[in-house]
Amino acid sequence: MKRLTKHPVLTFKRGKKIKFYFEGKELSAYEGETVAVALHANGIKNLRKTPKKERDQGFFCAIGKCSSCLMEVDGIPNVRTCITRVKEGMSVRRQRGRGEILD
Amino acid sequence: MRYLTELHVLIAGGGPAGLAAAIEAGKSGLNVLVVDEGIEPGGQLVKQTHKFFGNENFYASVRGFDIAKELLKEISNMKNVEILTESTVIGIYDKGVPVLHRENDEVELLKPERIILATGASEKFLQFENNDLPGVYGAGAVQTLMNQYGILPGENILMIGSGNIGLIVSYQLEQAGANVKAIVEAADRIGGYEVHARKAKRLGIPMLLKHTIKKALGGNKVEGAVITEVDENWQMIAGKEKEFVVDTICIAAGLTPSVELVSQAGGNIRYIPELGGYVPERDNDMRTTASNVFVAGDVSGIEEATTAMIEGKIAGLNAAKDLSRKIDEKKLGNLKSQIENFRSGPTSQKVRQGLQKLGFTLKSESFTKNSDDNIEKYEGKKRPVIECPEPIPCNPCETSCPVGAITVGESINSIPTINYEKCTGCGICVSKCPGLAIFMIQELLDSEKAIIGIPYEFLPLPQKDESVYVLSRDGEILETGKITQVTNFGNKTPVVYVKINRGYIKTARHIKPVSHSKNDYVCRCEEITVEDVEKAIDEGYTDFEELRRYLRIAMGPCGGRTCRLNTLKILSKKTGIPVEKLDPGNFRPPSVPTTFKAISEGSEKNE
Repeated sequence: MKRLTKHPVLTFKRGKKIKFYFEGKELSAYEGETVAVALHANGIKNLRKTPKKERDQGFFCAIGKCSSCLMEVDGIPNVRTCITRVKEGMSVRRQRGRGEILD
Repeated sequence: MRYLTELHVLIAGGGPAGLAAAIEAGKSGLNVLVVDEGIEPGGQLVKQTHKFFGNENFYASVRGFDIAKELLKEISNMKNVEILTESTVIGIYDKGVPVLHRENDEVELLKPERIILATGASEKFLQFENNDLPGVYGAGAVQTLMNQYGILPGENILMIGSGNIGLIVSYQLEQAGANVKAIVEAADRIGGYEVHARKAKRLGIPMLLKHTIKKALGGNKVEGAVITEVDENWQMIAGKEKEFVVDTICIAAGLTPSVELVSQAGGNIRYIPELGGYVPERDNDMRTTASNVFVAGDVSGIEEATTAMIEGKIAGLNAAKDLSRKIDEKKLGNLKSQIENFRSGPTSQKVRQGLQKLGFTLKSESFTKNSDDNIEKYEGKKRPVIECPEPIPCNPCETSCPVGAITVGESINSIPTINYEKCTGCGICVSKCPGLAIFMIQELLDSEKAIIGIPYEFLPLPQKDESVYVLSRDGEILETGKITQVTNFGNKTPVVYVKINRGYIKTARHIKPVSHSKNDYVCRCEEITVEDVEKAIDEGYTDFEELRRYLRIAMGPCGGRTCRLNTLKILSKKTGIPVEKLDPGNFRPPSVPTTFKAISEGSEKNE
């Protein structure tokens, strides 16, 4: 989806351009964006497979309340990507299921 | 990470209520910590691009994101107030309050003396088939994407719900360049303020009342939506379905208070639908039934940011008072009466009903209707027409008028009255009105024309002398008019003046640029677009024969059958000369495509 550059009311100050990975594929984002927002800007709305019925889901609230945006970030599952900053080199994957307990 | 060692007041939530509470508690000298989940503080204010209603004590006519900046600036000067972002209060126990810091994935146990819960609300989720498809977003999520991060949520949007949020977000989507296909409302009337509805209507967004969404269409993302009519019992009527091709379904079905922490703290909660769901029991000092815990903002009942800020201040002052700090009792009293005034109007009726269930007695103030302004008597004078149909607690028109010509009066819910004798026609009120409900009008008495001034918050901003489409209140194109003036007041709501036919003075309320796509053809043979013709006219080719020579229009095989009249119509629209007074140009032979062979053989035979 389109990143807005001009707006009648707002001015968007974007941070440094960075690279991150989604399912191993390199994508670009701007510092200051959240993971879910950066994915949306790259046209990716489908963030996870639900644990029981394996349905595709994206975020609903985008402010950390609904927990529909849980993804695996740098190997850690159940990260609320709508309120997690995207960082240089971050590896993001669609979460399938509830996630494993890490050592 | 934190520099405050001794903690007096912990505030959960850094939105308008939490920040206002922090300011008041901080002023008393207490150590205050605000814990906020977001990556930046300000709560939902940071994505509010509209100007707020209210009075000047509470940022009336200031846009939400600017209010957040002002609150944060005030806090940044207070050494005893700290804001922690990317952090969440994850529970409230007798032993203390655990706070999760996401940045380093650590939980810290805090022991505040008082807690103010300003946790806000979450979006209500509607039930319909495939409502979990990616692309079904809450209205707040759409605002976050679009207004906080500058990312268009989608190209084509269906809005479900016509409350203030549904109406405002529809308008904002159009401002950002998206296309809102319709606003769907199950009730038989629009839920939000009439001024917000009018803003959306004049953009041409259809309002489908007595309709509801039936299902979202698509494989692994939204590709469409089916809506259907509902009967008086809100039941779907079979066979009345309509289908929309959309990539985003935006749900604006309201909010429900986030009371989890109130309950964990031992505060009683009650189900009060008028206030959005479960709400804390509390007194008018914002104290819950857990005596050390206060609430403020949407968590105490869904309202809006102005009342949230007042509640925050009340909670902050009371927390300070509890901890034996000297507070301004008069100020506390004023805040209580201010919030009562805000809630006294007809638009707050539902909130009052909810609060009555919580045991409050609230006044419902009468308001004065617009008296006869004698607008007709001042024909020819450049003057505002105030189209403020509902008693909304709001008065920036009154306070911004440099000559005191507009009166709202004692009750902030009253509808403004204007004194045209005093009015100088400056247009400031048009730009300041948060509802965009004031327009300028002026009849040009020496002609059949008039000028209207419109608050215009879209890009591109038209320039003087540019031709634009003049739109009706329903977004229909009435005519093409010329911009006579653009006045900027430095608040991102310029007033654009356009010359119109006088007959439209009561109906014309919006404009849009005359624009064509790159593939909007006038001439099929020579592949000349509307844009090409208009550009040539702007360059000074204002005669059909000139355009023909310059563009090759009407020089193709069809001989101008397809393009001639269309070109003349464009020329007429741009120059204002009626088609019958324009020279249609020459009609040259051959009138149909003819081979050289036919011509040469024929001419030989005929010789």
